[in-house]
Amino acid sequence: MLSVSGLTKTYGDVEAVRGIDFEVADGEVFGLVGPNGAGKTSTLKTLAGLLEPTSGEVVVNGYDAGDPEMRRTLGFLPEESPLYEDMTPRSYLRFFADLYDVDRETADERIAAALDRLDLDARDRPVGDFSKGMKRKVAIARSLVNDPDVLVYDEPASGLDPTTTNVVIEFTRDLAAQGKTIVFSAHDLHHVESVCDRVAIVSDGRIAAKGTLDEIRSAHGRVEYRAFTDVEVPGAERVEAERGDRARYRVRVDSMAAVDDVRERARAAGGDVVDIRTRESTLEDVFLAVTGGAE
Amino acid sequence: MNPRRVLRIARWEAGRNAGTVDRRTAILLACTVLVVALVAPALVLYAPTPGEGVYRVAVDDANPYHAPVAANDRLSVVPPGADAVERGRADVAVVGTGGFVVADSEKGRAALATLRSATEAYNDRLMATERDVAAAFPVTVDVSYVERGTRVVGGSDGGTASDGTSDDGAGAGADDGGATTDGDTGATESGTTTGSGAGNGASAPEATPSAGGDASAPANTPGGLTPPFPLESLLLAFVFVLPLNVVIQSYGSSVLDERIDRRGEPLLVSPATRADIVVGKALPYLAAAALVTVPIAYAVGAGVPAVLAVLPLAGLFLGVTFLGALFARSYKELTFVTVTVTVVLMAYAFVPAVFTEVHPIAAISPLSVVVRDIRGDPFQLGGFLLATVPVATAAVVCYGLGLGVYREEDLFTQKRLPAKALDALAAPLSSVRRVGLLTVALVPFVLIAELFAVAALFVAPPDLAVPLVLALVAVIEEVAKSVHVYAGFANARFERSTRTALALGVASGVGFFLGEKLLLLTRLVGLPDLTVGGAAFGNAELGAGSLALLVAPLLLHVVTASVSALGARRSARGYALALAGAVLLHLGYNYTVVSTLG
Repeated sequence: MLSVSGLTKTYGDVEAVRGIDFEVADGEVFGLVGPNGAGKTSTLKTLAGLLEPTSGEVVVNGYDAGDPEMRRTLGFLPEESPLYEDMTPRSYLRFFADLYDVDRETADERIAAALDRLDLDARDRPVGDFSKGMKRKVAIARSLVNDPDVLVYDEPASGLDPTTTNVVIEFTRDLAAQGKTIVFSAHDLHHVESVCDRVAIVSDGRIAAKGTLDEIRSAHGRVEYRAFTDVEVPGAERVEAERGDRARYRVRVDSMAAVDDVRERARAAGGDVVDIRTRESTLEDVFLAVTGGAE
Repeated sequence: MNPRRVLRIARWEAGRNAGTVDRRTAILLACTVLVVALVAPALVLYAPTPGEGVYRVAVDDANPYHAPVAANDRLSVVPPGADAVERGRADVAVVGTGGFVVADSEKGRAALATLRSATEAYNDRLMATERDVAAAFPVTVDVSYVERGTRVVGGSDGGTASDGTSDDGAGAGADDGGATTDGDTGATESGTTTGSGAGNGASAPEATPSAGGDASAPANTPGGLTPPFPLESLLLAFVFVLPLNVVIQSYGSSVLDERIDRRGEPLLVSPATRADIVVGKALPYLAAAALVTVPIAYAVGAGVPAVLAVLPLAGLFLGVTFLGALFARSYKELTFVTVTVTVVLMAYAFVPAVFTEVHPIAAISPLSVVVRDIRGDPFQLGGFLLATVPVATAAVVCYGLGLGVYREEDLFTQKRLPAKALDALAAPLSSVRRVGLLTVALVPFVLIAELFAVAALFVAPPDLAVPLVLALVAVIEEVAKSVHVYAGFANARFERSTRTALALGVASGVGFFLGEKLLLLTRLVGLPDLTVGGAAFGNAELGAGSLALLVAPLLLHVVTASVSALGARRSARGYALALAGAVLLHLGYNYTVVSTLG
């Protein structure tokens, strides 16, 4: 269980977080999305105990954020993968396992399991020789050496190639399936949609929308109707004809009443509506609508 | 702090550094250590004396002067001959049993003076072997009465002012007062004139005139002291301090490495506390300093006191480097920081150590403890405390300040160096009481800075040195009382009200008054007895006297700290102006105290 209430964080005169509230239940996957500078990373770092809140309260598993006991139950993955390049994955992960008081045998088991699942074979080569994706895998494995109940991941798939991204996202799904509570942020909204149970859209230090994906869509999204006519009507755009068919025109409207209106105009011009299609808002649409397209 | 985690981090830090040293560098380092280990004992045993054999004396093997010349480091024997001087082979030629031909030059005259003192020393050693001591060293007492009031400051033990070249303290003391008969060599200091001899061969050395110094001369500056040049001390100081530079370079890089690319972030999320991390990372370097110091101490014949004196210095090197590495934004800035640290701290340790055994000022340097230990001098607790306590406390304060900013939002931001320094000072200020405590914590730096000022200025004439020391002391103390108050306001730790500023000023002033009692450490070695030492540290002693004298410095510190705090609450410019006013007030007070109490 994780709860954030009235969280603010200021850096000098800059208010990065301006009163954020949310709760994440045990075993839930919660996504934070928002444009750059919205306050996501500050929020996640406060959850991890890295930053002290200016005001507000953050409680993780019954402990205040920053409490050393809380840190034992939490795994954090920062946006970058800063590793000690001269160390091998095995020595690096063992070092962190020691800091979490994990005995060597258990640590080795966890390290092997995580690296196997992440498909990282090079375990005794210096990390400095690794690609960005390999380093990311080591960083993810580090977040798991203490077998935490809560995982806080900041852009886990940021900057990775598609193959590695899939591995990371699949791995996150596995963790969710194991009952881990996960809070993570992502730029790629497709990943958020595919992994998260609930989402908060953060904009300008505040939560602009929050809930399940359906709840957010219904609250902030819309259904778009596309009426295709065989004659040109005002506001229509011409679309390519298919293999000798007559030219077709498309009108985007937001209700069936508007579609009827288009039909009347088409008939007045000697044609008709020949096709109607609908499209629900994606999270990206909602995101753009809520944040005003900021990025 | 969790000892197990601290040791785990220390082991990791040591392993990381060992892993980053390639084979070639490792071999180079090993060779350097080996060379130092081999050279250090040689330096002690065979340290060349400046001017060794510089004066050439032409003297026959059978001549009574041959033995004194051969026994003196600064004299060298060259083949005899009356024309040796004329031909430029010698600076002095001994003719017969007491005639001298002296080159008509400064060097010739200096050679003759050296020959005189060498002969005296030789005579003294000869006489010391006599069974009848009273006959060998007849005591002559001249009593003269002088008015009191002439203050002789500095090295006042009878022997030191007389003759720096003598190895024999008893002999040097014995010649004072002209007890030795002036036999008058009659050497005319021309290139070719031969003077008259002084007795027969057997008694010739006794007839040599005394070259003893004037013990009544004031000895409060190196110019007055003409101390023996302690090359050995300098070389040893260098051997002890040099490895510390390598250690701090490595340590500074390691601390900065944690900050580059946020590498240290995962550590901060782990259950290890900030103290665990900082202490764990520092331990290997302190251990390395100890590991280097112990063999060096062993090699040069020093013991536990020497090692215990060097370790706080190593701690301060590391502490200042730690702070510098936290403030630096790049390796370039780190280089600037480490070079500055090296120069300032080496100067602090090195310069006073030059005057070990000569002047009380040497006691401020931990290296003077090393030198005394090597020479086998008795251990002096007072001197040891003065040399080590301020340095050790300053090291601890450096780490304390660094711990305050060893957190995510300070470690990984790219602020300018002064801004980070202010952050470090502001970090512990959560209440008015904390301001007073931080002022106390800054006192060791005040002591070090003031000792440094005294060490730098004691060579200057008192008329110049005293006003300069008074001014420097005022600046140092006023900055120490107010800079963190300004940092607190600048970092919005306190409300910018007059009432708050006054409360902070009072807290800081009282804190400083209590903290400056640390300056009484200087009494342990008599530094306040020096003219410049009295100017610097006399104020701290006032508080130890009567009630009136107790209140005066307390009032001064509270008033000046409040003035600075009132300025600090406004702006940087306001602080600068108020600080200048506080310094002037302080300077006026110091001047009054020094003028009144002498």
